[in-house]
Amino acid sequence: MSSREFVYEKFRGFYNNPSLAVPTPVGFAQREFAFLLFRERVMARHKGFANPKTLSAFLKERIPSDVYYSCAYYENPEADMDKKGWSGADLVFDIDADHIPTSCNKIHDEWRCTNSECQFSGGFNGKGITPETCPICGGVKFEVKSWPCDVCIDTTRAEARKLVDMLENDFGFASHEIRTFFSGHRGFHVHVEHEAIRSLDAMGRREVVDYVMGTGLAMFRKSRKDLPKQKKGAKVFSLNDYGWNRRLKNGMRKFILNATKDDLKEIGIKGRTEVILQNKDRILKECVEENRWSNVKGVGVETWLKVAEHVRDLESAQIDTVVTTDIHRLIRAEGTLHGKTGLLKVEFPVSQLDEVDVFKEAVAFKEGSAKVLVSDAPEFRLGGETFGPFKNKAVELPTAAAVLLICKGRAELVT
Amino acid sequence: MQLEPVKFTPNDLAKYPFLKETAEYMGKIGLDIEELTSPELGSILSRAEERVNHAILYVSTGQRRENPVEIPSFPVAIILALATKNSFIKKRYALAEAKQAHSDFQFESSEKLLALARNFDWDIELNRDSSIPLEFVLGFADYLRNVTHLRDEKWKLINRFLVDGKVYLNQHDVARLLQEEVQRRIDKRLDTKELPPFPQKVVEIAEQLNVLAKDKIGEAEMGGFPKVVSQSAFPPCIVALYEEASKGRHLSHVGRFTLTSFLVTIGMPPEKVAEVFKTFSDYNARLTLYQVEHIAGEKGSGTAYTPPSCSTLQTHGVCVNNDELCRWIRHPLAYYKRKQKTMPTPPQAPEKT
Ligand SMILES: [Zn+2]
Ligand SMILES: [Zn+2]
Repeated sequence: MSSREFVYEKFRGFYNNPSLAVPTPVGFAQREFAFLLFRERVMARHKGFANPKTLSAFLKERIPSDVYYSCAYYENPEADMDKKGWSGADLVFDIDADHIPTSCNKIHDEWRCTNSECQFSGGFNGKGITPETCPICGGVKFEVKSWPCDVCIDTTRAEARKLVDMLENDFGFASHEIRTFFSGHRGFHVHVEHEAIRSLDAMGRREVVDYVMGTGLAMFRKSRKDLPKQKKGAKVFSLNDYGWNRRLKNGMRKFILNATKDDLKEIGIKGRTEVILQNKDRILKECVEENRWSNVKGVGVETWLKVAEHVRDLESAQIDTVVTTDIHRLIRAEGTLHGKTGLLKVEFPVSQLDEVDVFKEAVAFKEGSAKVLVSDAPEFRLGGETFGPFKNKAVELPTAAAVLLICKGRAELVT
Repeated sequence: MQLEPVKFTPNDLAKYPFLKETAEYMGKIGLDIEELTSPELGSILSRAEERVNHAILYVSTGQRRENPVEIPSFPVAIILALATKNSFIKKRYALAEAKQAHSDFQFESSEKLLALARNFDWDIELNRDSSIPLEFVLGFADYLRNVTHLRDEKWKLINRFLVDGKVYLNQHDVARLLQEEVQRRIDKRLDTKELPPFPQKVVEIAEQLNVLAKDKIGEAEMGGFPKVVSQSAFPPCIVALYEEASKGRHLSHVGRFTLTSFLVTIGMPPEKVAEVFKTFSDYNARLTLYQVEHIAGEKGSGTAYTPPSCSTLQTHGVCVNNDELCRWIRHPLAYYKRKQKTMPTPPQAPEKT
């Protein structure tokens, strides 16, 4: 049996399990479903299902490596795109370690140039975030080996936490109206299905994205920084207790309280660092609490703007802007397998966001084991156990771990 | 605290004929489209014509008449605008009615304004939090639906007090957003595809309105771009994309689309644009040309694409190296036009003698 067949058999077993819980999103019959088919390796799109039973039958028979449904609701989900009759869409957020620099991608992410004419024999390669072009040949296509680790997950978890906080406090959604998922790979999905947001167009969703990402705050407008000196008074910089102002205010409080000389230098504050470090208490009281930002002599509005801009970056949530603004987006279906990991996209209550062990909850294959030859894998956790690191080693592993390594291109089945 | 429901008077309906209650009023008087041309109803028809006529000429709706004429003249004016089948007139008429309503909204009490907004099913209330000096709180979804066309940064959601799903607004803000709502609603009524047969008199008036609109359309249409492509007038974002592409660096999908649609719109021939992407190692001349032509509208869909606005580019991280001129414009094409105007015309190459 080849490694691929082995994984296929596991996926087949999963979708043929009588106790399989198929996804049942609200507006089930109005969603477009799409499948990446394991055998054919093609995308089957524009599928609609009257009820979960027919979807279940489809899954059993066709065995997809990945299952998606539209965030959109359509009158005719099976029709061509322009004839579907869009009637609304959920508000969807995707937070993925692929787009966020993490401290671990240098350790576990690898890339190799696949340009056949690459002058570097075997294709130039390296670790960390994949470059845009190959430094040797200028090629733009790469074979990428990434790895979902706890650091990746915690980095994206922190972004999801900030997002959820905005959805609850600023956008006013109750926690039961916010659905949080582990994506099955390296991040989180957040869905809001509330009636109020369904009819929002792409422009409206862009405003939501800008809000979440901290884009377009008037106080950082260029013309403000260009104001002539005499007009820059305390009033130019001022923070209130609502919306983003509140976030900046809380963020400035936190930042100033913990700031070291290096922190200040890093955001481009020179010369004034001592004044700030020696007057922390005054700054916290008179500036942050009482909004008298001109009270500390020698620290002007430009400096506070610099701090605020840095705090804006810390307080905003890094989401994939394209996903949220796309009102037709296909999103991975919960309770189905991720073709790159064999892990489930799983839902958990928002209240569990800070502690959920995704590498436990997302395990789909809980029985059996398999012998694999691992080319290279860092130490990893799965289903509450720790494995590796492995280097050119044959090992007997629980099914879920073996599938993960094979799917990530790091192991072959030993037969 | 429950507010007394505001009852709209005929005077209100004359001012705001797009309210739900107008349909009730019209039902009571039972006006038939065929009767419009009868002499008794002539004054309604002529007031309706005046509404559209003023909209075309001055973006206003003209002098108000007594209620029994004024109120029914609005639905009749809608019929006239529909009968012109002219998108310029329809747009202009919706704008004129919305602007007229806006100037009246500003003088209403908070309670009346609230009732008007609720007539549009807005999730709106009076603010009861005394620490915030703004009179209204509006659900953010209703807010976003109505700021789509408002470009000033003060309308960006991020620059608003957004607390618990509500946006805090003053009376001016609400009046302005209501104007947008009115315009959108009238636009929608004028978007009807299936039209009834119109009486001869209506068709005649519509034709006159179309003639009237012809001159105005010419004025309103934006002038095209000069033939010469001047690279020195490119906005900073395009310069950056252009340089990246020329160096053979990979552009994001949004970046690639922005650069291509920009170059095509300012008149660079598709073959030339495709050449910009030539240095990519995955360059495939035919495929690239196909994509460029698709964006230019020559192949495939037939619709020509224009580049995204500055705010969209900001969202997707394509907006870089802002300069002084960027402050005054909202679209990379506007930057290009503006910059080109301020640049001296390039000296002609000396003729060889
Ligand atoms: Zn290479
Ligand atoms: Zn990691």
